[in-house]
Amino acid sequence: MKPILTIRDLVKTFGSHTVLQGINLDVHAGDVVSLIGASGSGKTTLLRCVDLLEQFDAGEIRLDGEPMGYRVEAGRRMRLKGRELARQRSRMGMVFQSFNLFPHLTALRNVMLGLTKVRRLPVAEARSIAEHWLDRVGLAGRRDYYPSAISGGQQQRVAIARALAMEPRLLLLDEVTSALDPELVQEVLVTIRSLAETGTTMLIVTHEMRFARQVSTRTVFMDHGAIVEEGEPAVIFGQPESRRLREFLSSMSQ
Amino acid sequence: MGYALDFSAVLRGLDQLLWGLGLGLTMGLAGLAAGSVIGIIAALAHVFGPRPAQTMVRLYVGFIRNMPILVLALFAYFALPQFGIRFSNITTFAAVLAIYAGAYLTESFRAAMITVPHGVLDAARSIGLTGTGMALHVVLPIALRNALPSIGNNFISLFKDTSIAAVIAVPELTFQARKINNESFRVIEVWLAASFLYVATCALIAIALRRLEAWFPKF
Amino acid sequence: MQSFLDVLASSSGALLNGLMITIAVSAIAVATGIALGAVFGLALTYGGAVVSFPARMVVDIVRGTPVLVLILACFYMPAGIGLSPGPLTAGAFALAVFCAAHIGETLRGAFLAIPSAQTDAASALGLTFGQTLGYVLVPQAVRQIAPNLVNTAVEIVKASSLLSAIGVGELLLTTQEIIGRSFKTMEFYALAGGLYLAINLVIATGGAWLERRYRLR
Repeated sequence: MKPILTIRDLVKTFGSHTVLQGINLDVHAGDVVSLIGASGSGKTTLLRCVDLLEQFDAGEIRLDGEPMGYRVEAGRRMRLKGRELARQRSRMGMVFQSFNLFPHLTALRNVMLGLTKVRRLPVAEARSIAEHWLDRVGLAGRRDYYPSAISGGQQQRVAIARALAMEPRLLLLDEVTSALDPELVQEVLVTIRSLAETGTTMLIVTHEMRFARQVSTRTVFMDHGAIVEEGEPAVIFGQPESRRLREFLSSMSQ
Repeated sequence: MGYALDFSAVLRGLDQLLWGLGLGLTMGLAGLAAGSVIGIIAALAHVFGPRPAQTMVRLYVGFIRNMPILVLALFAYFALPQFGIRFSNITTFAAVLAIYAGAYLTESFRAAMITVPHGVLDAARSIGLTGTGMALHVVLPIALRNALPSIGNNFISLFKDTSIAAVIAVPELTFQARKINNESFRVIEVWLAASFLYVATCALIAIALRRLEAWFPKF
Repeated sequence: MQSFLDVLASSSGALLNGLMITIAVSAIAVATGIALGAVFGLALTYGGAVVSFPARMVVDIVRGTPVLVLILACFYMPAGIGLSPGPLTAGAFALAVFCAAHIGETLRGAFLAIPSAQTDAASALGLTFGQTLGYVLVPQAVRQIAPNLVNTAVEIVKASSLLSAIGVGELLLTTQEIIGRSFKTMEFYALAGGLYLAINLVIATGGAWLERRYRLR
């Protein structure tokens, strides 16, 4: 079965600093790939490149075989802009560390915005889809609340609903519990686990090692912009091969 | 010093003074409304538009903010008729006020737009909103709320600037005060009264603004 | 009918005179305004109730009143108490007071922004309040408001155009007199506008140069 997402030799530099040194990764339907590594290893940059929030400098990203971020014309790569780029972005969903809900809209309208303005659905249909997804993350009762009136954990779950309502091919999660108070982390992890169980394809950057081990089908360890080790969670966490991974895991368990 | 304070002349002319005050407020509001339209468009052009648009906005703002309102008003009222553009003094001044306010409001809106959190813009992009969609449905609603204090301060300044209309014989508060001054020679009372009316109105506007800001909190 | 350039040539002396008066009045108003504004600022921030209350009243009244009204008041009111200061003095006084109120309020903001830890540290060293003020508070406050002073100067130059309403022969009134004689309305109002723009750009550039030279930012 062909992968949903293929990344080949992805390179990203910021000025003179190479943040991604040639990443190769495949994600198949139903995969839950956890991405672990120290701060600065490039995990967030990788996610942002996949979601086309950053322009990458070399390599390719393909979603269902289609190249993302550029178009090939007469053998040359033309970067996509404007509407075409936006369309490609809408095919992937991203949930951010700082939730990034639209502060001027209620939870329901936050979820509806993409449906009405990007997928151009009629309002009634958008509303019922949005209500379905809010219910799915357990927040049907907070529909008409503004982000400032709900807790961080609830905001994050609304953010997940907002991303899923767009019916993305895959869901990218960037340290979605790192900004939450400890007691609010669980509700988000429970939501993600239930999504994994229903077959949502996900690429998760996280510091929650136990959670990554339990939920993911594959774990990837990054260090200094490169993938160092990759494999089944049980192996990565239980029998780490490389020294850097062992050092990382022991530093995380402190 | 044989001057005895006697407010009777002022009190007799109170209805004229108040009428002038009302005219000043009306011109101020009209200037604010029209100026806001100019300001929003110019700010959007500066933040989201191409380089030539940015330069044009910068020229507009830089030119107007260094220009005395009186010079703009006199030019509009006396020089433009040479080109066949002739409006009443009130209309002319309100238009000048709008253009003057627009320059300051552009900066207010622009500042509010660029302080919309980057994360919120990322989220908008990630669900696939284009530049236009993002500007309209995310940036503008947030920026307008955040710009409220600045717009409020601009309005207070604008209201005070309506006094300049007196120089082209618009019958607002300052003009009425000068008229009473010249007719009654109550030189001290009338200017105390005029000043009081301006200060009181500005204070009331400021209180109303604080209420408004509490109702629409900043994001 | 004379051409614009002919009129310009013959009235260049008058225009230059008007320009000089605009610059002179503005400079005097700003200089006086800074001195008086410093007094207001100190009174508002560090004065006891006896001092800060009247200062507050004066500053609030002046700031709530349009400049033109201040100018007209200073022009007409002295007659009531037997004084006749003349338009130039009255106008300069009004602009100075306007400037002082604005600077006083800005200074107050700057003083209040200095963390109280600074005064604590100064007291711990044994400095008197006067010394703390002079060596710690005022220098920091001045650094804070320096960019603001450029804006204030520009506002005063713009406000000086209103002195034409009380007959001061500054740039705008001179322009109007030339227009009255020559009927070259558009040309000379445009020229006046250009001259005000030039003055203000010079002020802004000078301010930026000073800021860089003394690295006040």
